Formats: sequence, C-alpha cells, structure tokens
Amino acid sequence: MSDLGKGDQSRGCKSAKDQLVQINGAAAPSYWKSPEELHNGARRTAEFPGGLPSSPTGEETTRRDFLAAMGFTVAAAGLAGCRAPVQNAIPLLVGSDEIIPGVANWYATTCRGCASSCSLLVKQRDGRPIKIEGNAESALFGGGTCATGQATVLSLYDDARLRAPLWQGQPTTWQEIDKRVLASLREAQETKSEIVLLSGSVVSPSVQSIIAEWRNSHPHFRHVEYDPVSFTALRAANELSFGRPVVPHYAFDKARVIVGLEADFLGTWLSPVEFARQYAANRNPEKAPALHIQFESGMSVTGSNADLRVAVPPSQLGLVAVALLRRIAHKAGIAPVAGTQDPLDARKLDAVADELWKYRGESLVVSGVNDRSIQVVLNALNAALGNFGKTIDINKPSLQRSGNDNAMAELVAKMQRGDVHTLLMHGVNPAYDYSEPDKFLDGLGKTALAVSFSDRRDETSSRAHAICPDHHFLEAWGDAEPVDSHFSLLQPLIAPLFETRAMQESLLRWIGHPEADYYKYLREFWRTNIFQRQKEIHDFETFWERSLQSGVVTVPPPAAASIPKFQGDWKAAVDRIQKEAGETRADADKSFELHCYETVPMRDGRHANNPWLQELPDPITKVTWSNYASIAPQTAKKLGVNQGDVIRLTAGTRKLELPAFIQPGQESHTISVALGYGRQQVGRAGNNVGWNAYAFTSMEQGDRRYFTKNIVIEKTGRTEKLGSTQTHFSMEGRPIVLETSMAELRRNAEPGNEPATQPSLWAERLHGEHAWGMAIDMNACTGCSACVVACQAENNVPVVGKDQIERIRIMHWIRIDRYYSGEEEDPVSVHQPMMCQHCQNAPCETVCPVLATTTSSEGLNQQVYNRCIGTRYCANNCPYKVRRFNWYNYTENPKFDFNMESPLGRMVLNPDVAVRSRGVMEKCSLCVQRVQLAKNVALQGKRELADGDIQTACQQACPSQAIVFGDLKDPNSRVSKMQHNQRRYQVLDELGTRPNISYLKKVRNPMETA
Amino acid sequence: MSTTSISVNGKAPDAARGIETQMLPPPSWVDDKPSLRDITDDIARPLEARPGKGWWICFGIAFAALLNLGGMVTYLFAKGIGIWGLNNSVGWAFDITNFVFWVGIGHAGTLISAILLLFRQQWRTSINRSAEAMTIFAVMCAGMFPAIHMGRPWDAFFIFPYFPNQRGPLWVNFRSPLVWDVFAISTYLTISLVFWYLGMIPDLATLRDRATGKIKKFAFRLLSLGWNGSHRTWSRYEIVSLVLAGLATPLVLSVHSIVSMDFATSLLPGWHTTIFPPYFVAGAIYSGFGMVLTLLIITRSTMNLQRYITLRHLDKMAKVTMLTGMIVSYAYLTEFFSAWYGGNLYERYHFINRATGPYAWCFYLMVLCNVVTPQLLWSRKARTSVRFLFIVSIMVNIGMWFERFVIIVVSLHRAFLPSGWGMFYPTIFDIGILVGSFGLFFTCFLLFIRLLPMIAMWEIKGVVGHGAHKMALSSDEDQEEVAVNA
Repeated sequence: MSDLGKGDQSRGCKSAKDQLVQINGAAAPSYWKSPEELHNGARRTAEFPGGLPSSPTGEETTRRDFLAAMGFTVAAAGLAGCRAPVQNAIPLLVGSDEIIPGVANWYATTCRGCASSCSLLVKQRDGRPIKIEGNAESALFGGGTCATGQATVLSLYDDARLRAPLWQGQPTTWQEIDKRVLASLREAQETKSEIVLLSGSVVSPSVQSIIAEWRNSHPHFRHVEYDPVSFTALRAANELSFGRPVVPHYAFDKARVIVGLEADFLGTWLSPVEFARQYAANRNPEKAPALHIQFESGMSVTGSNADLRVAVPPSQLGLVAVALLRRIAHKAGIAPVAGTQDPLDARKLDAVADELWKYRGESLVVSGVNDRSIQVVLNALNAALGNFGKTIDINKPSLQRSGNDNAMAELVAKMQRGDVHTLLMHGVNPAYDYSEPDKFLDGLGKTALAVSFSDRRDETSSRAHAICPDHHFLEAWGDAEPVDSHFSLLQPLIAPLFETRAMQESLLRWIGHPEADYYKYLREFWRTNIFQRQKEIHDFETFWERSLQSGVVTVPPPAAASIPKFQGDWKAAVDRIQKEAGETRADADKSFELHCYETVPMRDGRHANNPWLQELPDPITKVTWSNYASIAPQTAKKLGVNQGDVIRLTAGTRKLELPAFIQPGQESHTISVALGYGRQQVGRAGNNVGWNAYAFTSMEQGDRRYFTKNIVIEKTGRTEKLGSTQTHFSMEGRPIVLETSMAELRRNAEPGNEPATQPSLWAERLHGEHAWGMAIDMNACTGCSACVVACQAENNVPVVGKDQIERIRIMHWIRIDRYYSGEEEDPVSVHQPMMCQHCQNAPCETVCPVLATTTSSEGLNQQVYNRCIGTRYCANNCPYKVRRFNWYNYTENPKFDFNMESPLGRMVLNPDVAVRSRGVMEKCSLCVQRVQLAKNVALQGKRELADGDIQTACQQACPSQAIVFGDLKDPNSRVSKMQHNQRRYQVLDELGTRPNISYLKKVRNPMETA
Repeated sequence: MSTTSISVNGKAPDAARGIETQMLPPPSWVDDKPSLRDITDDIARPLEARPGKGWWICFGIAFAALLNLGGMVTYLFAKGIGIWGLNNSVGWAFDITNFVFWVGIGHAGTLISAILLLFRQQWRTSINRSAEAMTIFAVMCAGMFPAIHMGRPWDAFFIFPYFPNQRGPLWVNFRSPLVWDVFAISTYLTISLVFWYLGMIPDLATLRDRATGKIKKFAFRLLSLGWNGSHRTWSRYEIVSLVLAGLATPLVLSVHSIVSMDFATSLLPGWHTTIFPPYFVAGAIYSGFGMVLTLLIITRSTMNLQRYITLRHLDKMAKVTMLTGMIVSYAYLTEFFSAWYGGNLYERYHFINRATGPYAWCFYLMVLCNVVTPQLLWSRKARTSVRFLFIVSIMVNIGMWFERFVIIVVSLHRAFLPSGWGMFYPTIFDIGILVGSFGLFFTCFLLFIRLLPMIAMWEIKGVVGHGAHKMALSSDEDQEEVAVNA
C-alpha cells in the first residue's frame, strides 16, 4: 500500500471478511445478494446438509466411534507438533486488520488501459492485485470489462518497467531529475520559451486542474493532447455543427436502428464496454431487438454482429453518409442534397433510410471515420432524424477522447523549428505511432529538455533526456470523468513495486506546489469540486470514503441545457466528400486502399508487451502474435495470393511487407492492416511482433486519416506463418451454432415449446445439493473476447507463444469459435464461446485409465492434476476439443519467456488455482475455486447460497452478459430459467453427452433490402 | 483334426487304422533331407561360429537406431512430449500408431506358434521359433510406446491396479480401454515369453550338450532346466505345450480386439465403429505375416538356412498374407459403406475427408499396400519369388503402419467442431523414435539369432522325412503310430 493516506484506504476496502461479519445476525445486512436476503435476512442451513457421513446420528457413541475419535485425536495432537520448515519470510510484527492470508480484498479503482476509463473492482490477495473485474456499481460500464482491461493487471508485473528514473539513459535519483527539470523550466521561463506537456486524452479532472495550474505559473506553457487513434474530426464536426468541440455520449440502448460507418463500437471504438452492454441489452430477442446496419471496409467485431453488413471502401464511406442524408433530407423535406450517385446498391441504402426514418428519434448513426466532413454530414443526418437529445447526448458529452491532430502537427512543426524548450510527455509514444515519426524525433532532438513519464524505455522515451516512470494505475491515486458528471476514483492496490513516482506528483513538484503530494491534492480537489456538486452527503470524509468504496460517483449535471440546433454547413461537407470520392473512384480498379484499424487485442499498441494480449486471438481472424494484410478472397484469387504469402504494399515512398490473411467479407479493393503492432522497444514479449502500419496514416484537412489510397500490391515470394487458433471457418453444415428467426421465435413463444432432451441409455446422474450449469446466450455474445483474458487471469493459464500456437497448442480454457456462413464475399458470422461443457455423461471420463477426470456430486467435470498421467485419451474423445494439454513445462521455463518465466510476472498468479506442470491435461473448471469460496462464505454466514453469489470469471467479465452461471437444481435461478428458454439447445446434443452448459440460439433478424 | 494329415507329396492320406505306417509318406518340409546331425549343426552354427559381415552390418545399423532411440527418449523425458508434433486437435499420432503397429506385428508369431500348432500345420516348425521371438520383441516395442507417450511417464505405474497403495483408495478406471490394454498386453507378453522359452528347452539342452566353453555350458544348463529327454519329460512337455497353445490361441483374437477398442469405444467418427475388433485382428495377422516374411527372407539368406525355410514356407505365408489382406480390404469397404449407409453427418464427412482431405495420400498409400498388393499374390510365381515377396512384405509393413496412422490421425484432425480442426506434422523426434523402435526390434532379433537357436531343432527333425519325425509333436503320424501299435 502506498504511504499516502493509509488510514483512508482501509475504509475504501471491500473485504470478504467484512461480508463474513456483516452477514451474521438477524439485522438486514448492509451488503445483500438478493432482494430476498435484504428483506427477509439471510437464510440458514446446516453446515453439512444431510449430515456428515461418519457422524453418529443421535445414537450412543459406539466403541468404533470412540476408537475412531481417539485415533484422530492422537494423530491430530501428533500433527500439531509438526512444524513446517521456516523459510525466509518476514512476519508482520503487528498484524494488519485488513490482510488475512488467503482472504481476498476488493478495491474499486478505474482502468487506465485506455482513455475509456472503465470502473473496476480489483481483487487483491495477500497484498497483490491479481484480478481485474468490472465495477457493477458503475452506471456506465456495469460489471463488464474488455480484454485490455482484464490484461492490465499483468502489465503491473511487467519486467520491462523501469526500476528508477533515468537521466540520459542512466539510472539516477528523483532529486537529480527534479534539479535538472527545474533548472530547465527556469531557463525556459527566463528565455520565454515554450514549455509543452504532450499527453494522451486527459480524462482526470484533477490532472486537468494541475495542468491549469501549470498554465497559470508558466505563461508559455501549452498542453497538447494526442491520441494515436484520433477522434479529432468528431470533436471538430461537433464544433462546426453545434459550437461544441466534444465527443457526444451515445446511447445504443435507446436506438431501435443503429447504423455504424466504420465504427467498431463493440470492439475498440470510444467506449466498447459501455456500448457492448447497451447493445446487448437492446438486442434481446425476447423484447424488440434493435436493427443494426454496418458499413465498413474490413470485418470488425461490430460488423460481424450486424444484421446487415455492407462492405464499402474507406474512400467511399463519405458517399454512404451523403446518400443516407439525401434520402432522409428528402423524407424530411429539407433542402435537397446535391448529386445522385450512390456508392453501392441503391436498394440497400433505400432500405436503411426507410428504417432510419421509421424510427426517427430512436435511431443512431455513428462513424469512426476521422474526417470532419463525414462527421458533419452525419450530424446533419442525426439532426434530421431528431436523434440529438435522445440517442446522442451532446450536453453531457463523453470526455474519453480529447486528442487534437492539428495541435499535434503544429507541435511537431514547432519542435522542428526548435521553438519548444521543454517537452513533457505522458502516455504518448509518437516515435512509434505518429504518422511521421522522423519529424517528431527530429524535433525531439531540438528540445532543450525532453522528459517522458513512460514506464519503460520505448521508442520515444529512449530518445528523451529523462524518463520519470509513472506508477502503474494499480499503484496510483487518481480520478477520472469518462462522461460528464460521472466520476470515478483510482486508489492504489499495492505499494509501488519500483522507484516510480506519480506523474501528477512530478508535475506538482515542478511548479513548486507547496506539498507536492498528489493524494492530498486529489482529496482537496474532490472536496472543492465534486463534493460541492452533490447534495446527498454533507460530510466530506463520509463522501470520500463512500466514493472510494464504491469507486464511482455520479453527480447531478449542471443545469440541463437545451438541445443545440444543428448549424453546420453540411452542403460544403457534401461537396467536399463528393469531390474527393469522385477522384478516387476514377482509378478504383487499378489500385487498392489500405485501411488501418485497431484490433481488440492490441488496440493502439501501448500494451504490446502484454503476453496475454499478444496471445489473445483476434475476435475475427483468430490470429495471434502478429498483424497481417487482410485481403478479400476474390481479390486474393485474382492476385494469386495465398494465406501467409508476404505481400508488399507500396504507397509512394511508404512500404510495408507483411503476410496476407484472406478475410471473408473484406471489401475487395481494400487491404486492412491492424495498428498497434511492430513495436521496436517495448519489452521482450512485444518487440518486433508484427509490422507497424502507422506510417500509412496521414494528415488530411486537419484530421489524421487512417487510410491510404493508391496502394500497389506486389508479391514478395516469401511466406510467413500466421499463428491462428482456428483455421477452419465453416461449420460444414453441422448443427453447432443454431439459429432461429424472429418469426419462429414469436410463433413458439408460449411455454412448453422448450426443446426436449434426448433419451439416454445411461442412468440419470444423481446430484448432490447443487447442479452447476451455465447458459450462454449466443445472441448477446459479440465475440469481444474479454472472457478469454479474464479466464487466463483467473485460472493461471500459461502463455505459450507464437510457435506453440502454430502447432495448435494454445492453452486458453475458453475460446470463441467464429464461423462464417453464406457467401464468401458477404458472409454471416457467429461467435460461439466454447469451453468444457461439463457433460453429465462425459466421454472424457470413461476413457481416462486412472480416473483423473470425474464428475463431482455437483455436476462439475473435474480434472485431477495430481492423478493425471497425460495419456490425452480424454482430449481425443472430447467432441468439443476443449481439453488443453501441457506439452511442456510452461512455468519457469526459459523457452517460454513470458510472464510465468519471470519471478515478477508470476506475482499475478492466482493462489487459489494450481499451476499445472507439464504432462497433465487441463480445462475449464467452471471456476471451481469461486464456487468453493462462495459456498464457504455462505456456510460461515450460516445462510444458503443465493443465485448470483457465484460468478465465473468469464461471466463476470462479459460486458454483454451473455454468460450465466448458476444452480440448475434451483428452479428460480437465472440459469434454470435460461435452460427453459425456447431458444435453448446443447451443442452436439445427439451424442448423448448431456452437457451442463446450454446455449441459446442466435436470432437472425435479417433486413429486407430488396 | 488329429486324424487328418496334410498331404505333402500329393498322395491322399489314408486315415484307416491298421495300415502300415511306412505306407504313409514321411512329411518333408526341409529340402535335401539333411541328416539329424546336419540339422543340429546347421542350426547351431550361427551360435557357435563368429558372426559374418552381413550380421555385423545389420547389427551396426540396428544398434545405432537403438542408441538413437535411447537418446531421443531421454530427451523426450527431459523436455516433455511437446517435442513431438502432437497438438490439441491430434492428441495421438506416431506414438499410438507405432503401438498398434507393433502389437499387430506380434500377432503372426502367436498365430504360427499356437493356432498352427493346434491345427497341426507342420510347416510352422521352421518358422515358429523366430516368429515367436518376433512377437516378443514386437510386443516390447509396442509396450514402450504407451509408456513414453504419457505426459508424465514417471507416473506410468498409476495405470496398474496395485494394492495397497499410499494414495488412498485410488483404483484404476476399469471402464477405460487403456486399462484393458494394460491387461491385454501384459498377458500377451507373459504368455508369449513363457511359450517361447518352453519351446526352446529341448534345444537349449542340445546346446548345453554341445557347448564347450564353461560359461556357455553353465548358462545353457541353467536355461535348459535339467532337461534329460526321457519319455516322461517329453510326454509332460507336450501336454504343457498344448495347454499353453490353448491359452495363447484366444490371445491372437483378444489382444488386438482390445487394442481396437481404444478406438471403437470412443465417440469419434472413424473410431466409433463395431467392425474394429475383427478388422484389427485380420490386420494384425496380415502385418505380422508381412513382418515374418521380411525377417525370414533376410535371415534365410544371411544365415544360409534356405534348406529349412523353403520356398514352400514362403508360399504358405504368402497365402495367409493374401487372405488376411483381403479381409482387411473388405473391412475398408465396409467402413465406407456404413459411413454412406448410416447417414451420420460426421461419419460421412470423415470418410470423405479420408479419401479427399489433406491426408488422402496416406489413405491411397494404404490402399495400394493393403488392397492392391495382396492381389498380386494370386500368382504362384509371385508367391515363390523371394525378391518379389520381399518387396510385398515391405509394402505390407508400410501399408499397415499407414492404416493405423490414417485411423488415428485422420480421425482426430477433423472431428466434430470445425473450430478444433488442425493438422499434424511429425517432427524429427516422431520419426526418430519410430526408427528407433525398429532399432530396438532388430537389435533384439539379431542378438536372438546369434545367441539362441532360431529354428526349433527338435521340431524340425520331425518334418525332414526321417524316422525321427515320430518325435515331433506336431506330426500326425505320432498318433497313427500309437494306433498301429495298439
């Protein structure tokens, strides 16, 4: 724990121990698991329902019992005399009330994995944060997280993190750094030279306040915000349209029709956890599911979920916006939109426009294209549809992205002129992700002092004069305001592992702040700002504790403003779009466009050294440890390119050579290349993984553009293996992912239409007190893969590296199978989470020669590692292929130089789960450790286990709540109810395996376009 | 059976009692009618003389392969079975293919020594000893694979039911075919070893009597268990032989049936089929005879034993090979037919994939070796051409190895969920250990032909056409003579 505010932290802690204490007694507990518990008090059951098998039941003690008891007593007394050998552990002289060995504490904090700033609840065991979960109390994000968020806990234990500040690459002390920085700042002050803080989007209000203080104390101070994946155009367009340079807050749950133009809002765009949650809730087939249409060039997670997905090259996306606006304007009777050209089948556009118009005020058109003309046209479109104030909130905007491309470009120019004296850089890496890194580095060389707050030597910080490593967010205090009036706090879960210092503290120190204590500053800031904005609590101490404990605070927004009127010049924007698109189309057949995008695992590349993320299969391509050039099947055929052929993409002087990946649904004239790869200096796991595509971004009319036209493709003749975890994408007509239609669903809506279970020759398996089961809603699952990383973190799943993945040896206990159906050019995709199905008639069990896998009395299929001799017979006989074999020792093995090789990286391991040795089989246990813990907690609280007490790691992480775990014996549990849903089916049911995991059919709601 | 004698010289045997024994043609399975002394000399020569160049070259190669096996298995134990090409989709490949292959090889030995003994086939006398030796070495090779294929071979003893154990009430899973395998293979090895050893005792006694060196004499004396050649000894000996043959006979059918259940009891398309037990037994005998042919063709020429292992022997073995090969071919057809007729989606896909998928070349190689090749043996000319038979026997070996590979790998690599599909590519260690198992086999076999009589001297003496044939256990004349005397 940090020294800062130790006393306060204890109150911010939600410990399991508290729960134990509080659930005792008849009074309604302050924490409750269900409304029943709140109103009726906890239910009680005996410690061993049904009695202990050996205990005498009411009868006299027999001689045998006496002897047994006596034998036990003597043996126990003897054992008590044995002592485990004392190792070099230093005991706490004074025990802490908070830390009980083996009992986890949970603290609320805020994710800094990206600027979305999701609220988290972090599990701390014996003083170490080991697992990240979403904070269910957050009104924005719910309990879900994304894959990146799940993986950030591993970044804390990253070997590549700096142990101490560096001056000119040499370790130094903070005093030394402070001296030099202060001297430089004084010099800048005296020479009236510019001091610049270059940072990523600042979501923290207290940091903004510190920056304001800098502005006050240094007249020549400038703050530039720079995001490698920029939202500048969206902000600029809102300034042009409404006079407000903001990113609006979207409500995907309120829209009946959602149209996305290259906006991967379920995977990477703006705030995917929040949007996935809204989206899934809004697509519930039992209610009225929203219609989703996606126009995009490459296949994204979002596109793979759409009811209608239309492949459009990036240069033509503007025309789609114009075409939609033209139709809506016509319907709304607004001034006609120039031109008549449609970039694609007019019927599709007509149908989309009809739907939008039908649900005007309940529709939403979003675009991730960083082009202000397109954004202005979309603003006009949304305004014409009356969506502002309904599905788009511009009065309470999102503050998650505030980078400014123009300001960055100006800064680079200024740096190159030598006009920047002192440059402070936080959370940025332009030497890697700027479109012209050479210019930036040239400018960097001309600064008198460049200070980076990076936690490692990366491409940028290694060129700076000083590196002042910032804490990892799990070591730091802080706050965030992701959406206007929604606040969230960060609190440290562990004392800083290294000699790092909070960036805020450095900033405070360098402007000579009296105390330079960020914790105090933060508290003071909250006292004077956020505390003042709420009325519920009158005492700041209480407010602070409450806020720390719950992690999130929502204050009433400033007086509700009226919905601003659209006043942008959409006609000029339309003209510009049409002019440019016209130019492109003229030579469309000869050349290709290169489209840069973010992938779910790697995002903008800042987490490249996180092996969990590198090994996370891309939700669409299922490729790990690399990026690639996605190319349409028909184009690949035309060019004679095969999977894995290295192709050279050339645009003027810019060249990129990388392997081709044949992607069904890819736009035929577009090559998609993921950003975030090809880091040169990030750490052992991430160096030289993939190829850097940032060079193919450019500045166009003040916005950074993420596609390049006139790309020439050449084959190099080389091939490169792609580490893909799934190589076959067709279901081969097998009933694996079952689908149904809305019409059929309505037809069979009456109860009694549940599918019958098949007869079995085997006796029904008798269950004990519980029968654990799971239901997975295929309609809610977006394929975002957060569950995969959550499972990896929870269950100590090792990372095996690209070579092993090429050999089909990934260890993930849960995988998301993705299948295509239909045309190769325009496929329909499905995502299916697949893990051990916990069969009641498990094929793996009968074949194991040594009984290493058995079914528990509660229906869990268990793997007994100590008994397993590794014949792999079980895996061969598993029809779901979910068993994972330890082909090597993946722990402490230099051949697998990932987190489990380093002592630091092993700190993330969950002590409740055994680390498997080589030669044993493993698989999903349905988080049996969580089941066991919840049972113990209930037992100690003398109450019965309630539905929802146990959440598996995958279920907890799922932002769209597609996974539900529970007791099938309890007819009122959520999972039981889902098992009786008419959409329910079991995969490979006809084999008679009787899985305890059920799936709910995917509901197809295809849009009529003809 | 006992009264039906095999016509060797074309004359019909007369089973009527009371007819003079000398009217019956003496069985003759040895060319040139060597004297009894010649036989003993011929067979004992390799044991007493220095080995020739050919033996040393063969032994050198085999021993190098064995050393390679030792090295690779050591490395395997040190690093883990990740050094093989196995993966999450294909959990068994070369390891279990080799296992089934070697178990199958062993079957010919048992068939020859037990079933042909019961059927009174005299031609077995020249080949039974080496075939039995082959069985033992093949079962040793086979037994090695389940042990080394385990992820944690140091815990291999978990697979044996043992009591008391210190791991609580842990027992093996009697439902698992792998446990059945343990029983089947260990029974098989035990019976084969005992049978082989017992059959050698009279010869060991002969060698004891011939031995000159002190150590040699001591060793053979020990091994021959005080054999004295008395009538009482012979009579008991023959009873024991028959009893053991009776015990070994069901093993010919049961061992490979049980091995086949490793696959048949699973639910994998391509494995889950009831035809497997007879199909595997036929395949085992087919491959076993292939291997016997290979071994004997080499041995008879390198050891100058053409006189004892005649073309007629080869012809007989070729016929058995052809018959079992056709049974195997029929089984292939049946599999395809049931896949089509059964209408099971997965089953059907599996067989389409077998014939057209990425491993189709293995399938066609298997068809070439196991379906086409045996058909060539219809011609007597082919059956008596040593060179041709040698090629055929090698083809049979290759074909049967690939049959197991096709069954195991092709079934696994594309099972139920297409998301779990993947390819298996062997590594140097897969191939090295396969080669190494041949090294183990041939090293053992080459040592055998140097150290022990590779033809049953006492048995073959009964089929050379001398009066001594009356001693032979397997000759029908024994009983007839008894009848005459009575």
